[in-house]
Amino acid sequence: MDILWTGVFALLLIGYFALEGSGIGVGMLLPALGGTQPDRDRVVAAMAPFVLANEVWLVAVAGVLFGVFPSIEGEVLSGLYPLVVTLLVSWILRDAGLWFRRRLDGHAWRAGWDWMICLGSYGLALSWGMALVAMAGGLSGSPIGLPGLGGGLVVAAAFAFHGWTFLSWRLPGQVTGASRAGGALLASAGVAALPVAVLLAALAPWLLEHIAPSGTLNVLSVMILPFAPLMLGAQVWVWRTFGPRRAADRVPSFF
Amino acid sequence: MDVLDLARTQFAVTGSLHFLFVVLTLGLAPLVAIMHTRHAMTGKPAHERMTRFWGQIYVINYALGIVTGLVMEFQFGMSWSGLSHYAGDVFGAPLAIETLGAFFLESTFLGLWIFGWHRLPRWLHLACIWLVTLTAYASAFWIMVANSFLQNPAGAVERGDHLVLTDFGALVTNPMLTMALPHVLGAGLWTGGFVVMGASAYHLFRRTADRESFTGSLRLGVVAAFAGSLVTVGFGYAQFGPVSLFQPDKFNGTPLAGIGLGFMILIGQLLQVLIMFVLLPTVYWLPRWRWAHPILMLITPLPFLAAIFGWLAREVGRQPWLVHGRLTVADAMSPGLTKGMITLSFVGFVGVLGLLAVVDYLLIVRTVRRGPAAVTLGADGPADSTERAHALSL
Repeated sequence: MDILWTGVFALLLIGYFALEGSGIGVGMLLPALGGTQPDRDRVVAAMAPFVLANEVWLVAVAGVLFGVFPSIEGEVLSGLYPLVVTLLVSWILRDAGLWFRRRLDGHAWRAGWDWMICLGSYGLALSWGMALVAMAGGLSGSPIGLPGLGGGLVVAAAFAFHGWTFLSWRLPGQVTGASRAGGALLASAGVAALPVAVLLAALAPWLLEHIAPSGTLNVLSVMILPFAPLMLGAQVWVWRTFGPRRAADRVPSFF
Repeated sequence: MDVLDLARTQFAVTGSLHFLFVVLTLGLAPLVAIMHTRHAMTGKPAHERMTRFWGQIYVINYALGIVTGLVMEFQFGMSWSGLSHYAGDVFGAPLAIETLGAFFLESTFLGLWIFGWHRLPRWLHLACIWLVTLTAYASAFWIMVANSFLQNPAGAVERGDHLVLTDFGALVTNPMLTMALPHVLGAGLWTGGFVVMGASAYHLFRRTADRESFTGSLRLGVVAAFAGSLVTVGFGYAQFGPVSLFQPDKFNGTPLAGIGLGFMILIGQLLQVLIMFVLLPTVYWLPRWRWAHPILMLITPLPFLAAIFGWLAREVGRQPWLVHGRLTVADAMSPGLTKGMITLSFVGFVGVLGLLAVVDYLLIVRTVRRGPAAVTLGADGPADSTERAHALSL
């Protein structure tokens, strides 16, 4: 049971990087790839149907952290305090940009929120990179520093690559000028998730040491595992419905 | 204010903001699902217009529900790590179940519903909004399980320096939960009903297009508010039993808890009398009584206000305890939390979320005023049948 729930936690966190990494990368590239407003609309329309299904993986990570590793949860979140603040504020601004940008018609309104999407995406990528470095260092010392910044840049580059591949898959030959198949997207997802996967492998013994007692884990298993097929099925449905094969980009959709 | 006061205020403000948006989400979800069902069964374009119109309002409101919820979820570990150390083995379980078994599905199906317009098969698309409703209610259940544990730590015993879950059945049948959950869900339906009623009254008063649709939605809003108010008030009074048993001094300890309770009952009772004896009996004629429409618009915000007063009573009345009788709020605060840290996050969270909340309400008002013709939920363009044929043929 201990290994199962540690595995679930790792799967959720790796899944978040592999899936939402593309959305964050697209957000970072938004000004670079979308020179005009219609271009940016197309880029946002390409990623928007996936955002809700992707970002929820991190909400699940936080929930499992609390339920399965309660003694770690407080230590990690208060140890990374300033980074958690920038991560959350970035996330909020990015989401607000996505949800609000088309609610008014003015050019300045939409362009302003597009910048918020970009800014928030950079904030997310850099905060994550710095948080991973701080975790690797055992949360000793300040979580913000030069090595952390290096980690932030690595994660940002990986996300940007993943976002670029996503757009080449979703809108082949259009925004990026390139076309990528599903296999290339899987590979770039692997690149985006690699840093966190390495860290999780290194931290696995520490996680197992701090896992909740079996009584709690049994309750979680009984309550959650029956829903697992539905959760995975819904995720697969999202990717099948909004993938490039349906030619859905000809009917752009927004929040 | 010292560190503890700042951390408490931060949680109180984000929690209140969260519930302002969640209460409408809970109430609007079933109403949008009902409208979508009517559209799926009849296929009438007018019903699709209304589903997308109210769905758009639901979605704008939902955005703030998400971001305020995120901040709350992470704040437990940031400011209150003592809670996860002492009670995490118990309190963490319902939170984990909520995120995985409810919110994960809710978010995924909401994405499918929003972007599935004109893409998903009709009945599967309809199933999405009903699953969104169902999982939103499941979310409310698990969050209330967690909150009720703080009010009355049932199902757990103290071993060493922390609590251990011994009786899951007792955790989910906590007397502080069983009466409070319907109260909260009823308040949601009441709030959703009032928003639908108030927005419909606006369009009928302004004599805009879609007169027939808004006549129907005004009646739906009144009926939903009536059902919600019965449940809310009934299960509100029913809570005095368990409260007097487990927290006898809840409303006498601090003035704020008593004030919250008093104003909530005042608003709730007046509105319930108005709904039961005036609005419901006249619901057939109400859409035609233009003089009454400004009054309906004016009372629309009152259930929101009552909901916040209600939570103030429940949460302030728990002080100074975080887990009642076991762990104080002061002892639960993260050990290393400094005034600089909490000030930074306070400005970041409360400032940004407060600003976005104002923007969000302005956008909702604007969406209501512009009416169904301007809605572009999901796919762009007009929501008529030719558009659908066009989209599917591509």
